[in-house]
Amino acid sequence: MSEKFGVKVEEIFGTMPERFRPEAAQGVSASYGYDIIGRGKWKLSVKDGAMKVEKTENLSGCVAVTKADPDTFVGVNIGKVDGTQAFTTGKLSVDGDLMALGTTTKMFKKYVPPKKELSTREYVLDMFGTLEKRFQPKAAEGLRMTVAYDIGGSEGGQWTAAIQEGTCKVAEGLSSEPTLKLSLKARDWVDLMLGRVDTMTLLSTARAKFDGDLQVAMKLGEIFAKYTPPGEEVKEEQELLVLKKVISVDQRFATGPVMGKFLKGLKEKKILANKCPKCKRLQLAPREVCAECRVRVEEFVEVGPKGNVRMLEYTYFASPDPLTGRTRETPYGSAYILLDGCKGHEIFAHYIRPDHLDRIQIGWNERKGTIVRPVWSEERSGSLYDIKYFEIDE
Amino acid sequence: MKPGVDTSDSFIVHGKIALPYTYFAGRVGSKFLTTIRDQKKILGIRCNKCKKVYVPPRQTCDVCLEDIRENWVDVKNEGEIKNFTIVRYQDKHLPKKPPYVLALIKLDGADTSLAHVVEGVDFDKVKIGTRVRAVFAKETTNTILDIDHFEPA
Repeated sequence: MSEKFGVKVEEIFGTMPERFRPEAAQGVSASYGYDIIGRGKWKLSVKDGAMKVEKTENLSGCVAVTKADPDTFVGVNIGKVDGTQAFTTGKLSVDGDLMALGTTTKMFKKYVPPKKELSTREYVLDMFGTLEKRFQPKAAEGLRMTVAYDIGGSEGGQWTAAIQEGTCKVAEGLSSEPTLKLSLKARDWVDLMLGRVDTMTLLSTARAKFDGDLQVAMKLGEIFAKYTPPGEEVKEEQELLVLKKVISVDQRFATGPVMGKFLKGLKEKKILANKCPKCKRLQLAPREVCAECRVRVEEFVEVGPKGNVRMLEYTYFASPDPLTGRTRETPYGSAYILLDGCKGHEIFAHYIRPDHLDRIQIGWNERKGTIVRPVWSEERSGSLYDIKYFEIDE
Repeated sequence: MKPGVDTSDSFIVHGKIALPYTYFAGRVGSKFLTTIRDQKKILGIRCNKCKKVYVPPRQTCDVCLEDIRENWVDVKNEGEIKNFTIVRYQDKHLPKKPPYVLALIKLDGADTSLAHVVEGVDFDKVKIGTRVRAVFAKETTNTILDIDHFEPA
């Protein structure tokens, strides 16, 4: 149960077959995985305008796997949580083809939770609780009166609204000399306020009694704005359109021989810089030409792997990682590290192990910063992420 | 490749960046799109100073710099092609499956052109001056594709 929204994760998946729109799935043939933290995994398969959803452990072969906690997943599905925001803040992540996933949103009608009707008692309390808020000072200009509401039955109660000089005070109990007194049963009162029954019907069938100034009764509809049940939004006068999308961009980066050698070095747990034949400075990452002397650089030297931190920064903004398409977890710390064998500006930038962040000291001038060492990934592919992060060398 | 360059270390890195974005159509843009969606009607905005009618509408006249956001006028669902190109490359952001005709269409009653897709016309028959009419989308998306395409009138 996702307590936050009162909807179970299972309800979302369970209603998928009835919410399916075959016309929107024409020509789609793919599987999509959902990994709902702590609740299990589901696989949605779409083929030839038909669909199947099943709870499974095996999500292989899915073009995209969505991972989220139950509250976020339910919230996005019932429209209470903004999907794009959940994605950018990392509460919802997608492994695989985002564009393909986008097509699934069109394939299903939105999930509408079964409406939970308030009890008559709850309605009565909410109606009088919001009465002052619904008061329209302009419509009551110059009016001075008290309206007594005698709502009968065990679900009812007694209230008095005192209106004067453009203000309205609602109190429990009946005023002794009201300008107008309304007497009716709680159920009829609720029906009247919700527009299910009109005043004339109630009066003619003697289910309501109005005592006092009936002119005032006629004005009540203007003096108080129409009651709307909690959760039902008031329609805006103009519909404003907002488009939210996640676009994915295919990228190809050709390393060339020099960057290629550097990246392949990482695969073998080596950090390679190259050395300018003229000025002898190191370039890290290596470049084909010395940026200062403009001569071709051929000689490679291995540096590190340890080094000291020269600068550290925290990032709180969750941006997408161009290499994986995934949103980075925040906050994260990145450091400029002067690896052994390097000097001056020959620094190397990488992440710092999150739980070591608050113990990192930065160095300046001759003073050394905290010594760190790389933690290599188990599976290395010739990427900067072959180093997971740097951790304190201890 | 230059002879003598050792490329044995070179390889290709595939990236897959994802870019979430939010686009707000604005009051003017929202009314333009919701009218197309709900009433199958295309609106323009007239500058009362220079009398120019903008489609798509805008809130400021770019010649007079007048605030024109209230001056809505109806234009016809028909017009003529002022210029066009044929999109032949495939990319996932494109509105239609290529090849298709992308045209600048000046609707009757408007002074500016609207970029949209023209269907149902041979590529070698389409020319500047061809009369076209809007075909509205059955399934709406709150975008300019609520006009699904234009077809020869």
